[in-house]
Amino acid sequence: MVLVKERQLAVSISEQAAQHGLHPVGVRPKFGEYIKAIIKRREFITVLASSKAQAENQNTYLGQIWAILTPLLNSMVYVLIFGILLKTRDGMDNVIGYIVVGTFIYGFFSSTVTSSAKSISGNLKLVQSLQFPRAILPISIAMKEMFVLLPGLVIMMVISQIAIGVIQGSEAIHPERWLLLIPALVMLFLFSSGVGMILARYASRIPDINNTLPFILRIGMYASGVIFSIDRWVEHPVLQAIMSYQPVAVFLNLARQAVLAESNIPLDWSKWALGLGWALVFFIIGFVTFWKDEARYGRE
Amino acid sequence: MDDEFDYEIDPEDLPQGTPTRGELGAPSVMVNDLHVTYKVVGARKRGATPVKDNMLRKFLRRGKNLTGGYTEIKAVQGVSFTARHGESIGVIGTNGSGKSTLLKAIAGLLQPSQGEIYVSGIPSLLGVSAVLMRDLTGERNIMIGGLALGLTRQEVEDRFDEIVEFSGLGDAIYLPMKTYSAGMGARLRFAISTAATPDVLMVDEALATGDAAFRERSRERIDEIRQHAGTVFIVAHSLASIKAMCTRVIWMDKGVIKMDGDPQKVTAAYRKYTKDSATK
Repeated sequence: MVLVKERQLAVSISEQAAQHGLHPVGVRPKFGEYIKAIIKRREFITVLASSKAQAENQNTYLGQIWAILTPLLNSMVYVLIFGILLKTRDGMDNVIGYIVVGTFIYGFFSSTVTSSAKSISGNLKLVQSLQFPRAILPISIAMKEMFVLLPGLVIMMVISQIAIGVIQGSEAIHPERWLLLIPALVMLFLFSSGVGMILARYASRIPDINNTLPFILRIGMYASGVIFSIDRWVEHPVLQAIMSYQPVAVFLNLARQAVLAESNIPLDWSKWALGLGWALVFFIIGFVTFWKDEARYGRE
Repeated sequence: MDDEFDYEIDPEDLPQGTPTRGELGAPSVMVNDLHVTYKVVGARKRGATPVKDNMLRKFLRRGKNLTGGYTEIKAVQGVSFTARHGESIGVIGTNGSGKSTLLKAIAGLLQPSQGEIYVSGIPSLLGVSAVLMRDLTGERNIMIGGLALGLTRQEVEDRFDEIVEFSGLGDAIYLPMKTYSAGMGARLRFAISTAATPDVLMVDEALATGDAAFRERSRERIDEIRQHAGTVFIVAHSLASIKAMCTRVIWMDKGVIKMDGDPQKVTAAYRKYTKDSATK
């Protein structure tokens, strides 16, 4: 009897609430509404991204110079170790250009994934203070990494083109292809934020993911041909195919098509189609995955 | 859990009079049989006295203590009430009585283990730790907070001067927020959160850190929100400021509502209760 009574009471409360236009707390919004709410706050995404990019190197004496210095030093280290000391340069026409493009592009992917995974735990104050669609966080973090990458891209272009000019001669420089870097980066952005959103969901539940990520990203670096040529060093045909057609390797290939003059990496439109496919698939899967758990982010 | 402030307030600092009481509107918050249980990951309840065990068991137990596990804390145990548009509700109770937990659950920041909560609009909770993004300036935080609340960039820019004036921060608005004192941060957060008049505003101790002038300004703003048919919840330890700002008081004790009603009556009963338990 008591149970029945309680039940009736509960029903009447939810009915009353609906009558007065109240909605239940902590329920995931519908997919369409969610996208609408994000589009309505598109300015929020860019402002958050640019603010975070500015804050990045704030606590150092050199400040924003680090945005250029960090990737520059990074690629110099790899060129020194892999290009000069270990001589893994077989299969590349221009070891400096090859490694520099690889480290800058992979650096973007790796830092986007690392910081997206922390997008809920690292912004807990913001999440707990204000209600907004949480997918804005991983997306704006990916955008922030893009902003941080831009000055580095200038350095990447300067070094790689000088290297091509010196090693391969000025006729190997193709300025008309440079614009292709833009679609390549847009695709990489979509892909990375897709991966970031998937990780953000699970890392908000299992913080230990953040501890394993550096190792996975390091394996990813060697499995994607960032600093050596997959065609030259991986002999097993199936393994070679998997390694060359997986998304990260494809995006590296696209960036190299745009910037370098490697005889092994000719302009190949089928790779661009593949890149676009990877980008869309991962972005959509990531977005839906993230949205599924929307009601839980920031809740204890 | 949250730090709790218990500031002494000089009587002459207090806003004078009691809040105006208007017609009560339709329900704005409905809470039905709410239970909240905290799961504290990585902390395990341990007995006060050591247990005698053989070596292996000791070893296992130690391992268990090191690798997480969790403890459950029942913070709210069966709370039901309805708040109406135009009400300002004070929530009082001793430390650990479940006041902050209740507000967090209404704001959607805690997963209730049982029960239902319905609200109108998007509830906004102001806590003691009021910083949005530490590394960014107050100016940037205003923009980010405003945009997150769904205002456009233009709307935030239009209200910018008003927000800065209300917060009383002056030129400090151009410094990173990590350089702010607790009171400064709370003032700015209050100003941001009330920039877009919220349907339901919850203030958890955030006013205690402000100075007298700010308390007076925030009392006026809270009255304004009520007159725009908003509902305001205030957690405070100062009974005098509760009486000055609230039209209704809920007294929480050990996770349940002990009393709910007229501010004079409830605060009087609460004062008697705390005195009695102090002399015990």
